[in-house]
Amino acid sequence: MEIGLTHYLVLSTILFAIGLVGVMRRKNLLLLFFATEILLNAVNVAFAAISHYYGDMTGQMFAFFVIAIAASEVAVGLGLLIVWYKRHGSIDLDALATMKG
Amino acid sequence: MLDHILSLLIFFPALAAVVGFMIQKESMRAYGISVATIEFALSLWLWYVFDGNVSGMQFMENIPLVQSFGINYTLGVDGISLFIIILSAFFTLLGIGSLTDTPNVKYMIITLLFLQMTMVGVFAALDAIVFYIFWELSLIPMLYIIGAWGGPLRIYASVKFFLYTFTGSLVMLVGMLFMAYFYYQATGVWSFALLDWYRLILPQSYQLWLFAAFFIGFAIKVPMFPFHTWLPYAHGQAPTIGSVILAAILLKMGTYAFVRFSLPLFPDASAYFMIPIAILAVIMVIYTAMVAYAQKDIKQVIAYSSISHMGIIILGTFALNVEGISGSIFLMLGHGVVAGALFMLVGVIYDRRHTKMMSEFGGLAQVMPRYATIFGIMMMASVGMPLTINFVGEFLSLLGFYQQSHIITILAGVGIIVGAIYMLGAYKKTFFGEVTNEKNKNLPDINKKELFGLIPLVIVAIWLGVYPKPVLGPINKSVESIVQLMHNKSTTELAKKRIPNLVKPKVIIIKKTIIEEVH
Amino acid sequence: METYLYIALFAPLVGSLFSALFTATPKKLFTGIVGSLLIFTSLVSSTILLMYILKGGEPVHVTMMTWMATGDLYIPFGFVVDQISVTMMMVVTLVSTVVHIYSIGYMDHDKGFNRFFAWLSAFVFSMMILVMSDNYAGLFIGWEGVGLCSWGLIGFWYHKESATWAASEAFIMNRIADLGMLIGLFLVYWNTGTLQYDGAFAAFHTLDISTLTWIGIFLFIGAMGKSAQFPLHTWLADAMEGPTPVSALIHAATMVTAGVYLVIRSHELYSLIPHVGLFIASLGAFVALFAASMALVNRDMKRIIAYSTLSQLGYMFVAAGLGAYWVALFHLMAHAFFKAALFLGAGNVMHAMDDELDPFKMGGLRKKMKWTWIMMGLASLALSGIFPFAGFFSKDAILEAAFVGNHTALHVMEHHYIIYAVLLFTAGLTAFYSFRLVALIFHGEERFKLFGFHPHEAAKIMLLAIAPLVILAIIAGAFQTTFFEMVQEALNAVEYHVHSQIVVWIMTIGTQVFAISMIIFAYVKYNNSRVSVPDGTSRLENSFIYKLLFNQYYIPHFYAEYIVKPYREISEIFWTKVDLKIVDATVDGIAGIIYGTGEKTRQMQSGNLSTMLTWMVAGLVGLLSLAVVFGLTARYSDEILLFLSALGV
Repeated sequence: MEIGLTHYLVLSTILFAIGLVGVMRRKNLLLLFFATEILLNAVNVAFAAISHYYGDMTGQMFAFFVIAIAASEVAVGLGLLIVWYKRHGSIDLDALATMKG
Repeated sequence: MLDHILSLLIFFPALAAVVGFMIQKESMRAYGISVATIEFALSLWLWYVFDGNVSGMQFMENIPLVQSFGINYTLGVDGISLFIIILSAFFTLLGIGSLTDTPNVKYMIITLLFLQMTMVGVFAALDAIVFYIFWELSLIPMLYIIGAWGGPLRIYASVKFFLYTFTGSLVMLVGMLFMAYFYYQATGVWSFALLDWYRLILPQSYQLWLFAAFFIGFAIKVPMFPFHTWLPYAHGQAPTIGSVILAAILLKMGTYAFVRFSLPLFPDASAYFMIPIAILAVIMVIYTAMVAYAQKDIKQVIAYSSISHMGIIILGTFALNVEGISGSIFLMLGHGVVAGALFMLVGVIYDRRHTKMMSEFGGLAQVMPRYATIFGIMMMASVGMPLTINFVGEFLSLLGFYQQSHIITILAGVGIIVGAIYMLGAYKKTFFGEVTNEKNKNLPDINKKELFGLIPLVIVAIWLGVYPKPVLGPINKSVESIVQLMHNKSTTELAKKRIPNLVKPKVIIIKKTIIEEVH
Repeated sequence: METYLYIALFAPLVGSLFSALFTATPKKLFTGIVGSLLIFTSLVSSTILLMYILKGGEPVHVTMMTWMATGDLYIPFGFVVDQISVTMMMVVTLVSTVVHIYSIGYMDHDKGFNRFFAWLSAFVFSMMILVMSDNYAGLFIGWEGVGLCSWGLIGFWYHKESATWAASEAFIMNRIADLGMLIGLFLVYWNTGTLQYDGAFAAFHTLDISTLTWIGIFLFIGAMGKSAQFPLHTWLADAMEGPTPVSALIHAATMVTAGVYLVIRSHELYSLIPHVGLFIASLGAFVALFAASMALVNRDMKRIIAYSTLSQLGYMFVAAGLGAYWVALFHLMAHAFFKAALFLGAGNVMHAMDDELDPFKMGGLRKKMKWTWIMMGLASLALSGIFPFAGFFSKDAILEAAFVGNHTALHVMEHHYIIYAVLLFTAGLTAFYSFRLVALIFHGEERFKLFGFHPHEAAKIMLLAIAPLVILAIIAGAFQTTFFEMVQEALNAVEYHVHSQIVVWIMTIGTQVFAISMIIFAYVKYNNSRVSVPDGTSRLENSFIYKLLFNQYYIPHFYAEYIVKPYREISEIFWTKVDLKIVDATVDGIAGIIYGTGEKTRQMQSGNLSTMLTWMVAGLVGLLSLAVVFGLTARYSDEILLFLSALGV
């Protein structure tokens, strides 16, 4: 069985769904970051696959961009997270509601 | 300089306002008056160089802004807009000159100068987008005037004023975009220029929708019944100067826009909606006059009376003939002068007693005879006494509409009766009778600063009532071209029937004179 | 001649503006003198113009300048002096001069002396515009102008509630009629294309009867207001709140006759529509009787004279309605003289009696006020139509006109016996109430002593001022022929063709005997010692008829109760219920819904990242599904249309 575009896209979708559920359900900030990474990588998979499918390198280039941005995001995010933990002693999402409108 | 006189008129006050931030507080008044005087002199000069025999636009300026979408900075005046521009410069001058002890007078004058820019901009713009920008910009200084210097309910009133009119203008903007899109479809070129749009003939079904979109924007501004309720609050809370400018100029934007946009762009729709709008106008005239009669606050009486008069203006506009439209434009000026003066007059006693309740007064004719006389003259002008400015407008508006419908005109004419009832009632309560309230016993009569604002208005009100020709002539010229344009553009039977053709009778007259000459 | 025309027209304006300069200053005698002099100048100019016209001169017609011109409409300030307007000018300027001079004496002690003359001269100016204009629009200027001055003069003593109320009432009632007039003007313009008299009159002949009828009716509605015809009559009696010279000038001699003038001026219109004319005549006859009946029992000296004015206006309308325009004009003139004299006489009495108005509280004043007594007596005789006073000639002519019928349609000689009978009966009533008044004021016991009055004869200037009016009231009848010859051409006037000379004699003598017997009856009833101030106990006062008449047929009551009050209540409802509770509440409601929705949805912003992310996902899913649905519909639109058409949609 040749592994074609469809398989990659299905994988990407499944990963995206897992990430989405994680984003919605996880209460721990650290795990939320994991879920976000899964989301981004799901898209990266799709980008790379489609890029290969069309023979157009733009998609793969984009994937690299995403990886770079994700990396910097995690760096900034983890930094903030550590500061938050130092100050409040918890990284539970439910305890983190200062943005209440 | 002549080529750019309109831009000068628009941006000179704005520039002066920016400079005004740097002026010392003490000399601000003198600065404001001199700026307004120069502006007024410029507007008079515009009148002087204006050629009254030309029906089209004059002093046109054209600078491309967004070429791919046909948005240009296009300006121009004709007989219709000329006098409203002069009136706005006139009122800014009088308003600044007669400013009484207002807190933060510096910022008030700066705001007024900005307002002056937007007002001239609206009336001189010949491009829909430029028009729209000035139209919306005019809300901001007014919002500020009401919100910063107003009465106790000022926040509510100013927010209501802003949101209400803003909502309307958004619908109007959608209409404008559609109009440009239709123009693009018809010609393949984008254009927001009004004069280009004039040439576009739309099918009636399109016209009806576009007319409705524009109507909502304009009707709220006028304000037409049932969209009028922001006005009493705005007037009730605004400081005197705010009410004066609002009544004299800002309300005229709506009626002016009807003449400038709705009629020539959508002649069929105008003819189609004529009777429903006339019925609304009649309701405006009678209903608001009755509401005015029930008011306890003299400023509210005048606020509601404004709505009532705007009804007559709308009626004249939708008469769709030269008499009616000329009359309605003249009445815009007339109402501007008279309502502006009446609001100033109310300001006079408000400054003295800090109340506007009529029950607090009574017998003022004894204490303040000069004030009572000027108020009396303006009241009589307001009820449409012949030889005052309002009569000419009201007479022509009603006369014009009589051609279209007898019954509606008779009903609208009831306005002259109910108008007399509330005005005489208010005058009687305030000025006649014995002085019962101790506080009124020693009120000083009107002072020089107040006279500076009022005397010119009295003179104008009587001068244009006795001899309206210098103003009515150019108006007539431009209105004739609009009516002819509407007649030529209209496609439906109904519109052809309702909008008179001016060309034919002229031919006959020419023939007549030839025959006479031959004899 | 044009110069005289302008002098006659503008002299009063100059006088008014001059006096107006001093309104805020204390009394200045010279405002009165200058005002009077200027009005007198106007009188002299009018007289010169009259002489010119009498000599058979062409009417003077000038166009001063354009007033309104737009579209096809062209209205100039044009003035014309022809036979009709010169008569009116004479009446107006003459009575005004007399009243101005009289007022110098009458208003002597009043604080508002200068203001009074400003208003009074302004009134004369408006009235001159009204009568001299050569178009309907100019007439309307004057029409509204006299209304304005009337407002200012009725409410002259503005500290009095009753005066200001009466002023407003007069203004508003007139406005109701003015609307009719305005509509009449619109009809004239849209049907004839002009508002100039000559152009419009020429065009009337080409119009169909129904249009003409409407024009006639609407113009007459205007006339009804100014001339206080039923049902717009109540303001006239209330207008007596104003100073008495005002009542003499405005509410007797000039302004109220403007309606009659309008009908006479538009005679070319009304002679085309005799059925409207008949209606006018019938209404006139009704008002004549109606007003005279109210005058019978009234206890207010000025109101009695006011009702009598109303009644005489009814007479004029009968003549005008029946096509005897020159008779109407003649009666207008004669009436102006004797009625103004009567009012000014009443003013003297008021001065003497400290503004007391109830004639029952007077009595026997003839000893104290000999000249006033003589003048009022003579004026009353003229009013009653006794030979050889002016009233006899004019009123007799009206009676004959009613008897003979419509003169405009010469071939249809209708006799209006009912109108004739009503007028004849009213003539008797007129004689009765006039001399009831004279008897109560000047004869009988000196009842005023009971109330502590100290009457005295009026100032010389006042008496001298009245004298010319009284003289004219006596001799004006002699000018009947001259007058007829003058207006003959302008009004298509014709002499009557009463069947035989004997009928004429019987009619005349019969009328005279009737009137004289009524005078005697009035004297018998009121010139004796049994007359006392009514206290509401006598049998007469409790009778239904008396109450009905005394309360003016309850019409003012009806207006107050069923028009004024509901209007106020409806206004109140419109404001508090409709405007605030419905219209404004709807707007606020919409704003409230938007605001409320915001309030509700802001709960979503719980601050909990997890919930917010859930909402984000929900939004994403929603948008995605929308995109899918629209994409599919666009792709399969043909199939969907096919499917729908198969379903029969």
